[in-house]
Amino acid sequence: MLLPNADQGILDRRAEIVSALKSMLPAGCVIDDDKSMSAFDTDGLSAYRNQPLVVVLPETTQQVADVMRWCRDNAVKIVPRGAGTSLSGGAIPLSDGVLLGLGKFNKITEIDYENRAVTAQPGVTNLGITQAVQDEGFYYAPDPSSQIACSIGGNIAENSGGVHCLKYGLTTNNVLGIEMVTMDGEILRLGGKHLDADGFDILGVMTGSEGLLGVVTEVTVRILRKPASQRALLVGFDSAQEGGQAVSDVIAAGIIPAGMEMMDGPAINAAEDFVGAGYPREAAALLIVELDGPETEVDFLINAVSEIVKKAGATSIRASTSEAERNQFWAGRKSAFPAVGRISPDYLCMDGTIPRKALPEMLTRMASMSQKYGLRVANVFHAGDGNLHPLILFDANQPGELERAEEFGADILRNCVALGGVLTGEHGVGVEKRDLMGEMFTEDDLKQQQRLKCAFDPQHLLNPGKVFPVLHRCAELGRLHVHHGKLPHPDIPRF
Amino acid sequence: MIYTPQNTDEIQSILAQAMDSQRPLYACGTRTKSGMHCQVSAEDSLSMEHYSGIIDYEPEELVLVVRAGTRLDEIDQLLAKHNQMLAFEPANLSKMFASEHGGTIGGIIATNLSGSRRISAGAARDYLLGFDAISGRCDQFKSGSRVMKNVTGYDLSKLMCGSYGRLAILSDITLKVLPKPQTVQTVCLTTDTLAEAQASVSQAFTSSVEPSGGAILPVADRFTSYIRLEGVAVSVADRLTALKNILDGQGEVSVLEADESTLFWQQITNAEQLASSSGQIWKLSIVPSALPQIIEIISSAHTCSYIADWAGGLVWLNCEISDTAASSAIIRNAISAHGGGHAHLVRGEAGEHIAKFQPQPEQLAMLQSRIKTAFDPLHILNPDIMGHEVPDSTARADAGEKE
Ligand SMILES: Cc1cc2nc3c(=O)[nH]c(=O)nc-3n(C[C@H](O)[C@H](O)[C@H](O)COP(=O)(O)OP(=O)(O)OC[C@H]3O[C@@H](n4cnc5c(N)ncnc54)[C@H](O)[C@@H]3O)c2cc1C
Repeated sequence: MLLPNADQGILDRRAEIVSALKSMLPAGCVIDDDKSMSAFDTDGLSAYRNQPLVVVLPETTQQVADVMRWCRDNAVKIVPRGAGTSLSGGAIPLSDGVLLGLGKFNKITEIDYENRAVTAQPGVTNLGITQAVQDEGFYYAPDPSSQIACSIGGNIAENSGGVHCLKYGLTTNNVLGIEMVTMDGEILRLGGKHLDADGFDILGVMTGSEGLLGVVTEVTVRILRKPASQRALLVGFDSAQEGGQAVSDVIAAGIIPAGMEMMDGPAINAAEDFVGAGYPREAAALLIVELDGPETEVDFLINAVSEIVKKAGATSIRASTSEAERNQFWAGRKSAFPAVGRISPDYLCMDGTIPRKALPEMLTRMASMSQKYGLRVANVFHAGDGNLHPLILFDANQPGELERAEEFGADILRNCVALGGVLTGEHGVGVEKRDLMGEMFTEDDLKQQQRLKCAFDPQHLLNPGKVFPVLHRCAELGRLHVHHGKLPHPDIPRF
Repeated sequence: MIYTPQNTDEIQSILAQAMDSQRPLYACGTRTKSGMHCQVSAEDSLSMEHYSGIIDYEPEELVLVVRAGTRLDEIDQLLAKHNQMLAFEPANLSKMFASEHGGTIGGIIATNLSGSRRISAGAARDYLLGFDAISGRCDQFKSGSRVMKNVTGYDLSKLMCGSYGRLAILSDITLKVLPKPQTVQTVCLTTDTLAEAQASVSQAFTSSVEPSGGAILPVADRFTSYIRLEGVAVSVADRLTALKNILDGQGEVSVLEADESTLFWQQITNAEQLASSSGQIWKLSIVPSALPQIIEIISSAHTCSYIADWAGGLVWLNCEISDTAASSAIIRNAISAHGGGHAHLVRGEAGEHIAKFQPQPEQLAMLQSRIKTAFDPLHILNPDIMGHEVPDSTARADAGEKE
């Protein structure tokens, strides 16, 4: 996984760059000693490390703007960083780039219950938003498993999801507005506490843009009233096929649960060994279906879903009767990653999405790939929306295993695309899946995406080397080449 | 000349020719909503009305793939057969524009036109999973997919929604659909002031009764708030009781049963209460709690009738504002003084002082213009549809012998 070659000219100018940044920021906002910088040398994709040129931790939007404009004028690259939990390497630094951390943007600026909106600085954690409003009975719905650590700005950049986005949507469906700074150092406001864009929906395209289009300096999100009650079903199946079918049947019956999660045999047993959640060890697939809303509705739907999964061949069904029991059902699922971490020195967490109906087929293919690569795999899924998280187990100390695990992972993602799905459901492309983009997109698709990038950052200074396998120069992408007087596509017949 | 392509090859041919001859195109569907936008500076039209039909529909995957020219009523009928719906409740403005039907899905996406459920379920932009299109460079490209969760590459679907055909010709559209709620009921509350009405609706939305619509209608000198509850019958019944308790003592309460409710919310979504009157129709997107102040400012200067939806965050305004600097600024100034938002003159002519669409701050306008150029460098798609544009003169480069 290669980052773009560092520009020697920039490396040579390091002292000058550092002192320019120091002159524009308050004391303590520029970190340039190797030891302190090493805290920023990777993100959640920790198999890869890279020391940044320098780290800046600005405190105000104006400072972000000043840094960005200066970097633009001096052709210095910038990598934005929230909490550094990206699993696709989006926040991995560049040796010839400034790492711009939003860690000091950690305040909630406004809570407006009447309009159900919270405005926060981007470094506030995802859970921090819920914590700020939960005493009044509200919460912020998107709930990535990393929510105690990841920042709301990072959530915007990655369009993060969580187990409840089946019913409540991803980040993009829950953001009302942002303030952002462009690479030109311009401060823009998009949206607010009102709905919908009044021009192109730039807020929509900023969400999930992986720090390539601008730096988010403030966020306004929708908060919701906590549902009156929540209950979960824990359902075991003898085969993944039956489990997958049950998921489709629930949706086909017109029920959209708050969450519908599945684990396969290896994941069930790893979780059971770790937390003893009471999972049926003999099951080949375990489904957790959570329903929320008014009590009568939840009870009604618990019964309805129970009937459906029974018909689909469930071998065990338990419905939670207390909060403690519901939390116990979730305990295994929530600790699936650390549980797998216990049975293997290292693991790689993949993140593809497939159409729900392709779940059984995908599992069959995964089993044969596991044999082919000689590596074990444990699966947890956001089954309701077809989002897979295969955990590939390996040992980085064994020569060649990391490469084999990565090849296995790439193979899984290629299969996701082949089955009508996509390379990433919620973790982003970053550097991890960058070189697979051609599996899903044509050259023209990718060029059009890069033209959009050029509208924001024509010099490719903001987080280059992420998302796109090949960086085309904007001048070359943007212009229409008129060749011998002919516009593009001379081969297309005219009317 | 009106072109009506039937396949993507034809669309490309038309675009290629338009580029060669530098003759811009008015890209449209069935033109049922042409009154919503400005006059397009193009003599030729590319109408998608013959590029229609369902490509794929998988109810259990909640996915519908259609050609852009497919009519909304055809989609509604198909989905209804499977007890499903477009959850964003696309508005049918046929009464407002005296057209025969509600237009095509391409038109709905291009205008990001959502109805009452916008406040709880999201807008058209939240349901466009992916698309195929032909850009103003005549390149076929796609974005998104058919799955519910996807962050692979930029989410260009969001840009297409509300773009008024300025970036690309959408050909195939992939939508997320949802099950229809089993039943619906509406609680109506009559109060003396608009502030009370908005506060009650807001209270319902901040409670756990999970409303899926919140409208306010002035009636004589009073105001009626309508709060919609949808879902499985047992749940709706329970929430109805809970909501009545919440609203207890705030005014007279009554209930619209299922059929009445369905009809009522259709009328609200389509702004039918105002559609038959003559005059301008404005659509305001505002901060819900600012509704009373904004209405007060506007009413003190103009005689308007209005209805509000989205818990107060959407106002449909019917009035006659003359094209002078003083009178036309009132609406937009009131919005910006009270939390921000935007106003669109949905029906009525633009004037020297009246922009149909909300004017953008300069830096944002420039970014918008660069985005336009990134998709349509020669400005052949719907030039000036949202107001006068200045094409980017650097877009066309004569590479000549260098290639
Ligand atoms: C254990 C674990 C579990 C996880 N579970 C989930 C999950 O359930 N669902 C899910 O969706 N993700 C999950 N993630 C992934 C990760 O937490 C999310 O992608 C998160 O949104 C990243 O936020 P961050 O603040 O850590 O961003 P970072 O990792 O710091 O950055 C991520 C990307 O965003 C950019 N960025 C960050 N802040 C800004 C900003 N203010 N402006 C512009 N660009 C910015 C960076 O340049 C980078 O490209 C998990 C990660 C871990 C480690």
